[in-house]
Amino acid sequence: MSAVISTVKLHMNRRETTFLVPLYITGMVAVFSVLISLVFWRSGSQPGSAEWIQGSQSNPGIVYALLSFLVYLGVSSVATTFPFALTLGATRRSFTVGTLLWAAITSAYVAAILAVLSVVERATDHWFVGFYVFDVYVLGAGDIGRLLPIVFLGVLTALTVGGVFASAWVRFGARGPQLIAAGVVIVIAAALIVVVPAAAEIAEAFQLWWLAVAALAAIALSSTGTWLLLRPAVVR
Amino acid sequence: MFTEDAPIFQQLAARIADDILAGVHPEESPVPSATDLAVFHQINPATASKGVNVLVDLGALYKKRGIGVFVATGARELLRTNRRAEFRREYVAPLVREARALDIDRATLRQMIDDEESSQQ
Amino acid sequence: MTNAIDMQAVTRRFGESTALDAVDVTVPEGSICGLLGRNGAGKTTMMSIIAGQDRPSSGRVEVLGQEPFENESVLAMLSFVRDNQRYPDDYRLHHVLRIAPDFAPHWSEEVAAELVDGFRIPARTPIKKFSRGQLSSVAIVLGLASRAPVTLLDEPYLGLDVTARALFHDMLLRDYAAHPRTIVLSTHLVQESEALFDRVVILDGGTVRVSSEAEDVRDLAFTLSGATDVVQGLTARSTVLSTHTVAGLMSATVWGALDDESRTTARDLGARVAPASLHELVAAIGEHRPEPADLALHEKKGVRA
Repeated sequence: MSAVISTVKLHMNRRETTFLVPLYITGMVAVFSVLISLVFWRSGSQPGSAEWIQGSQSNPGIVYALLSFLVYLGVSSVATTFPFALTLGATRRSFTVGTLLWAAITSAYVAAILAVLSVVERATDHWFVGFYVFDVYVLGAGDIGRLLPIVFLGVLTALTVGGVFASAWVRFGARGPQLIAAGVVIVIAAALIVVVPAAAEIAEAFQLWWLAVAALAAIALSSTGTWLLLRPAVVR
Repeated sequence: MFTEDAPIFQQLAARIADDILAGVHPEESPVPSATDLAVFHQINPATASKGVNVLVDLGALYKKRGIGVFVATGARELLRTNRRAEFRREYVAPLVREARALDIDRATLRQMIDDEESSQQ
Repeated sequence: MTNAIDMQAVTRRFGESTALDAVDVTVPEGSICGLLGRNGAGKTTMMSIIAGQDRPSSGRVEVLGQEPFENESVLAMLSFVRDNQRYPDDYRLHHVLRIAPDFAPHWSEEVAAELVDGFRIPARTPIKKFSRGQLSSVAIVLGLASRAPVTLLDEPYLGLDVTARALFHDMLLRDYAAHPRTIVLSTHLVQESEALFDRVVILDGGTVRVSSEAEDVRDLAFTLSGATDVVQGLTARSTVLSTHTVAGLMSATVWGALDDESRTTARDLGARVAPASLHELVAAIGEHRPEPADLALHEKKGVRA
């Protein structure tokens, strides 16, 4: 158990990358959102109008910006940290468990930050001028009850998927991630082939919790894959 | 440092003996610990202890438990006696052998020794 | 004396190639063991297996009486930094010093601080940008400050300047004397390090050619030099590891001890006989392409202690 906690601390050791970079990115996205809002404002759109709110809330910038960083973070949590963890004396088992635990903590941290910012945004009547950065559809449109699971599961998915790709790299070299990617493409294509005829009905019946289930499945698959890949992995 | 001609522990023992003979370590004074010798000469501590033990076994050094290793009374005389026995083997034998190889006759060799002695005085 | 490391018939294959071939090595507790041999002899693979970072294809390895692979209690007692160690992205020295004690129960801040200061390891430069010598310095800090009961040092001298090498020896011997442990050190700088060892293992092509007390190495082989025909005549029936010739003169490094009769003959014929030094032996073994019969001969002579 102690080695699991130590592995969590090993990941947390990169304090700036884990705790501050998500803030920087969030800040950058806020700045960009404000700039875009200003462009709309200058082009005649009125803050507070229905059309304005509709447009602002559709902005998914925050998701794209955070996502690529989080996948990188997931990759580096295994690719370069695993060899060092073994050197320090972690077992593969404690490393895998510790890494998952760290990913959960990081996800909770990001979810909490976005929740706080979202609450502040609404409490200040969207920063007093009607700017929507966090009160957007992809984050539950201001509903904290939705924002927390969306962000938590989304971040955890990004981190663990990054992790499993890196594990394949540690285990098999450059071919590993390619094989996984090919496998995922084939599975998705196969699923589409099956599902496409009923696409319209499925889209109609779509429920948000389907995404949650999909995220949980991705997290579970990635974590299991990471363990299976790292268990016999040899550092050379 | 050390040469490859003999095991290091023997060379270390010889060096401590040299120091005792030269008066660097007077009788009843402590000699450096095996650890200090190991660090100083950058050799394995076990090798250093072995070197010290050569002189302990000989009676030139003795151990005071928990305090250290000291030069025994009479160590210089003891070492000198020992060295005299070695002297013939280590110095005289090769001297005579080399002299023979160079066709230096006995009288010339004696003369050389006498000259050397007076030049060192 | 109990063994800190016990490898029995350890073989490690990577696809077609065999990195270690039926390796039997024991290292007693409380010794400094030199692990020597040419590049590709299997030194790092052997250390990886001892450290539980790799697993033998067949055979058995025990460290402090237990299998090291995935064994948390053994790994806590073990330190191994490989010569090409990777560190997490954007790591600097302070990251290493902050996390290492978490995994090393016997970690010494004093040893770490003294080494960091002595080696002048830069604090602000990312480890990714470190020079070879600076990387070696970090590895030595991890290895020595951990005070791990089993400490494996993989090529610790790479890129170190003379001052740094002396500091390393100084710290190693001082701290080893105060906190005895088992140290395995692989290196090519045989002459520089041989006085540190009380045990020696020489690998060649994945097999153990020598595993003995450092002191007994002097008796394992001898060098004979003199006129080529004399040396050839005297060594005709011996296992000659390597020879060097120049204008009618030959120097041969030969397995085993020279019997008194041959010694007298050698002297009468004007050939010089001397025990092979450790570095001569390592070089000669590295040069030698053994015949199966030769290997059997070594077994018989009890070279594998």
